[in-house]
Amino acid sequence: MAKLEASDAVVFGISIDSPAANNAFAEKIGVTFPLLSDMNRKVLKEYGILKMYNVQKQEYDWAQRTTFVVDKKGVIQSVEEEASAINPNNAVAVCTKLPKK
Amino acid sequence: MRQIRWMNMIVVAAMAGTMVMGATRTQEDVKVSHTSLKAGDMAPDFTLLDNKWKQIHLSDYRGKKNVVLAFYVLAFTEG
Repeated sequence: MAKLEASDAVVFGISIDSPAANNAFAEKIGVTFPLLSDMNRKVLKEYGILKMYNVQKQEYDWAQRTTFVVDKKGVIQSVEEEASAINPNNAVAVCTKLPKK
Repeated sequence: MRQIRWMNMIVVAAMAGTMVMGATRTQEDVKVSHTSLKAGDMAPDFTLLDNKWKQIHLSDYRGKKNVVLAFYVLAFTEG
């Protein structure tokens, strides 16, 4: 995370959890960046990453694990889905390469 | 006369083909879980509450910071 901040980037975690749940989660895992609540799944739909999960034979639509890097012009520079989105190193590499201004 | 009949058949076949393709596309839209956004696209703006109940607008960072959006499945899970 320090590497990301050094590359002039801010990080947001996003899920369907409430702000209260996210705050408890943030304190538990000690994250230093904000966790955003997309409780009505609006952003997930716009970003096309709503995914069906089957839990005890019921379907729930939650976020697919995805990392987007957005540059200062608002343009997406990289998209990582599923397993590759767990490791932040690629996002760090992308940010580091972006122009500094 | 025969020629006209052939023409009709071709037109009907083309229409049927279009309908089949249309139906398939609709199904894909429902099933697809991969994002259609890709590098080079504009990131859709959003306003969301953070864990301190503060509004965050993606557009506030335009021209200032790169933004990493890390979507996770659920809090308190390994996701």
